[in-house]
Amino acid sequence: MTVHHHPPDELLAAFAAGTIDLGQHVAIATHLVSCAKCRGAVRAMEHVGGAVLAALPPTAMSDGSFEALQRRLDEASGNSAAVRRRGRAFRDVPGLPDFLDSYPDSSWRWIAPKVHLRPIRLPEQSATRVFLLRSSPGTRMIEHTHTGFEMTCVLSGSFVHAGGWFGPGDFDFGDGAVDHDIRIDSAEDCICLVAMQGDLRLNGVIGRLLQPLIRM
Amino acid sequence: MLSETPDNQTSDAARWARLIEAVAVRRDREAFAALFRHFAPRIKTLMQRSGASEQLADELAQEALYLVWSKASLFDAKSGGAAAWIFTIARNLRIDALRRQKRTPTGDTSETELEFQRDEGPLPDAGMLTSEIEARVRDALSVLPDEQMRVIELSFFHETAHAEIARALDIPLGTVKSRLRLAMARLRSLLDDFS
Repeated sequence: MTVHHHPPDELLAAFAAGTIDLGQHVAIATHLVSCAKCRGAVRAMEHVGGAVLAALPPTAMSDGSFEALQRRLDEASGNSAAVRRRGRAFRDVPGLPDFLDSYPDSSWRWIAPKVHLRPIRLPEQSATRVFLLRSSPGTRMIEHTHTGFEMTCVLSGSFVHAGGWFGPGDFDFGDGAVDHDIRIDSAEDCICLVAMQGDLRLNGVIGRLLQPLIRM
Repeated sequence: MLSETPDNQTSDAARWARLIEAVAVRRDREAFAALFRHFAPRIKTLMQRSGASEQLADELAQEALYLVWSKASLFDAKSGGAAAWIFTIARNLRIDALRRQKRTPTGDTSETELEFQRDEGPLPDAGMLTSEIEARVRDALSVLPDEQMRVIELSFFHETAHAEIARALDIPLGTVKSRLRLAMARLRSLLDDFS
């Protein structure tokens, strides 16, 4: 898979540092599933994290903390391979990170002609909402802007907008300044994972009429 | 091997990897004590800078070292450096701690670890030794201008990273973002040389 569009570097750095919220984390993790180059960049940033950590000034540990820890070590088996609980949620959608399969599953619902949405409910409060969007071939998404930001990962199919062509694995980052006029140009459905903060603002008369119906 | 290089940091990295291996293979308490002495007080600093109280930071630092002990056999010297591995343990603990405030008490704290699990397919740097990656990253960091290094350091602490960095350094938010972008581009170009 050739990936052409990547998350901005500072977003990959924030992912590695663990400073973004879970909604954004899901979007980046989804891109990493299909992008070896960005997996490498995240790994490099974890090395940066290690270098930063190792060079921090130390803060004295509390008295007796090492002794207390030693007592715990006696009880530790030393064999704690991560147990992988596997659920079945979202297994029907290829290209998503494994950890989503333990989330509550959801079903597709109609939100506009030729467009279906499937929410991904996060196990914690997050300012970022995450959902899957499935659009039929030839769909033109209503022109819109948003008040926050929008991260889109293509899972299958493709779309085009002024910023270029986006196929499987590609990551589209839009902030409030971007005017989207999206056309689905693949022969099959285009399925994307979207992480979004803020509200959509649909442009045009029809859009404003639809707005109350399409609260994403 | 690495330990023969005169560079102190390089030999540190190799020594830490050997210590973790000694813990994994022989349950070596002395090796563990050495890891504790170096990393626990620094993880405590990291946690405090991330907003944890002194007591919580102390507990999290202990917990991190407990995980170093119990997960030592999972450390793969080929795929990650020792400091980077310990950093990811501390990072995940910090995220778990923040989540405990947001999630229901039954929330599973091993979630974070799963969320960072990546299916490591072929990497662009496959074949590059970890020690080479570490050396590259270190070289890249050492040539970064102080102002960019400062932004990188701070970006490893706060959830509301950029706005807080801007306040801490008394510079505009846009400047934080551009410095971080410059620093990242530089790091990336150094690593890309290998792919």
